Amino acid sequence: MSDRAFKGSAKAASADAKIAIRQLSKSYDLGHDQVKALETFDLSIHDGEFVCFLGPSGCGKTTLLRMLAGLETPSQGEIVVRRQTQDRPLTSMIFQETSIFPWMRVRDNVAFGLRIRGVPRLEQQTAVQHFLDLCGLGQFADAYPHQLSGGMKQRVSVARAFANDPEILLMDEPFAALDEQTKITLQQELLRLWNETRKTVVFITHSIDEALVLADRVIVMSGRPGRPIADIAVTFPRPRLVHELKAEPEFGRQWHQIWSLLGSQPQALPEKVK
Amino acid sequence: MVEPTNELRILPKASHEPGWRRVVQSHAVMAVASPLLALILWEIAGRLGWIDQRFFPTPSSIIRELLDLISSGELVVHLGWTLQRVTVGFFLGAVPAILLGLVMGLSPTLTAIFRPIIAAIYPIPKIALFPLIMLMFGLGETSKWVIVGIAVFFQVFFSTLAGVANIDRIYLDVARNFGASRWQAYRMIAMPAALPFIFTGCQLGIGMALIVVVVAEQFGTKTGLGYLIWRSWQVFEVRDMFVGLMMVAILGYGIQLAMGALEGWLICWKPHAKTKSLL
Ligand SMILES: Nc1ncnc2c1ncn2[C@@H]1O[C@H](COP(=O)(O)OP(=O)(O)O)[C@@H](O)[C@H]1O
Ligand SMILES: [Mg+2]
Repeated sequence: MSDRAFKGSAKAASADAKIAIRQLSKSYDLGHDQVKALETFDLSIHDGEFVCFLGPSGCGKTTLLRMLAGLETPSQGEIVVRRQTQDRPLTSMIFQETSIFPWMRVRDNVAFGLRIRGVPRLEQQTAVQHFLDLCGLGQFADAYPHQLSGGMKQRVSVARAFANDPEILLMDEPFAALDEQTKITLQQELLRLWNETRKTVVFITHSIDEALVLADRVIVMSGRPGRPIADIAVTFPRPRLVHELKAEPEFGRQWHQIWSLLGSQPQALPEKVK
Repeated sequence: MVEPTNELRILPKASHEPGWRRVVQSHAVMAVASPLLALILWEIAGRLGWIDQRFFPTPSSIIRELLDLISSGELVVHLGWTLQRVTVGFFLGAVPAILLGLVMGLSPTLTAIFRPIIAAIYPIPKIALFPLIMLMFGLGETSKWVIVGIAVFFQVFFSTLAGVANIDRIYLDVARNFGASRWQAYRMIAMPAALPFIFTGCQLGIGMALIVVVVAEQFGTKTGLGYLIWRSWQVFEVRDMFVGLMMVAILGYGIQLAMGALEGWLICWKPHAKTKSLL
């Protein structure tokens, strides 16, 4: 086992944490000014957990995820991610915006991570076909992204991350830009995929519904600078059916609880130069 | 009289117009008809003595000259040499330009080192370098390849650089998150993403190559369309000159069409990449 320390040396991590966040904070330098995106906080995420971060726009959710993905460094503190094996990638990110490569066919987009790692061709093809089918893209394997709808592009993005078979999936509001029906369909498919693999998932959203439907655990963030203000266990049994879950009285109760938490926060205001 | 009504009818366009009008108005027909019309006017104006035939011989006499040059085999030889010089020079310039453009585009350090030098040379009219190049490489073919190569290099280099600078950051983020090596990032991300810009650069480069080659063929050779044009100037054989000019135009247009087709095929992932290729 080895740890990936993002900054500083790893102190004794709480034994079973997959991701340990300690005294982490992040500011962006704008030259004349600084924006504090994340306020100092601690947090542990366990192996195989499906965690949703929920918070208003601009509270630093993307920033947190980019740090987990190794695309950004903390300003202070550290993130320690515990690796299981060197044979599989540690994280794969599904971005908020469209991020599939327009110059690759759907098939090659999904195979991207495997090609990067030099997985043998035959193995690649099997994995790609499996996830294309699971994501309902079987017929579009040879299409180019410009021939797909927005929802299908996001499916490709999901398939690309799953096919890469990482230890941790990082998902940044992947369904936020989609219409309600497509969104629910994809949430359902994500639940099914996750049931098969039981990976650690860090999922970011600004939708209370989405967080409750998907997660084992919802971490509610304050407005900017963001930090966790509540850590809520979601105990609906799995496998879950999205549309039926929403009819449960317990769903409504938890929805309302989170709503009040968010409502007690000042709205994220546009940045003011001090 | 049409009754005033509350209906707005939206109908297929074609049903309004008679067939002949559609044919005349089709863009393909217009594209052929307009130069043809210009040639006819030119011929008439020449025959009526409205324009000086010493400078503007009639199209029919030019075509007669063209047929003579073709049947004597001379024209093919000239065309072949010019095509050879443009092709060799093009690859000599374009290949390093693309490689350097990609590498520099993704490396701020290399940009800081090389950009000032390249930017300083860029504004020099390339043909002004030709005397120096002839001193270095002699009067033979090499100096012609080199000057064409230089002209092509700058066009392709700056286009490639712009292409890399325009790559959406998110694609590079994906590559990084998925653990792509530098080489993989060039091959799988930077190169294909910048390809539309690179193609534009190549098309500009071909235009430059034709300008430069025609001037360069003035020196140290008895072959090439440029030579044909300069010789006809010396012996005041204006019809040969027009044949030469026409062939350069056809050569340029032919190359652009071929590049357009290649682009449409290589960049089929981009919607409407093909619409550009007509010019
Ligand atoms: N690259 C950056 N440079 C400067 N400021 C940034 C950058 N990325 C994000 N920010 C700022 O950090 C804050 C949090 O942004 P972000 O993490 O994208 O929020 P969220 O994803 O929760 O909407 C915002 O105020 C944003 O303007
Ligand atoms: Mg965001």
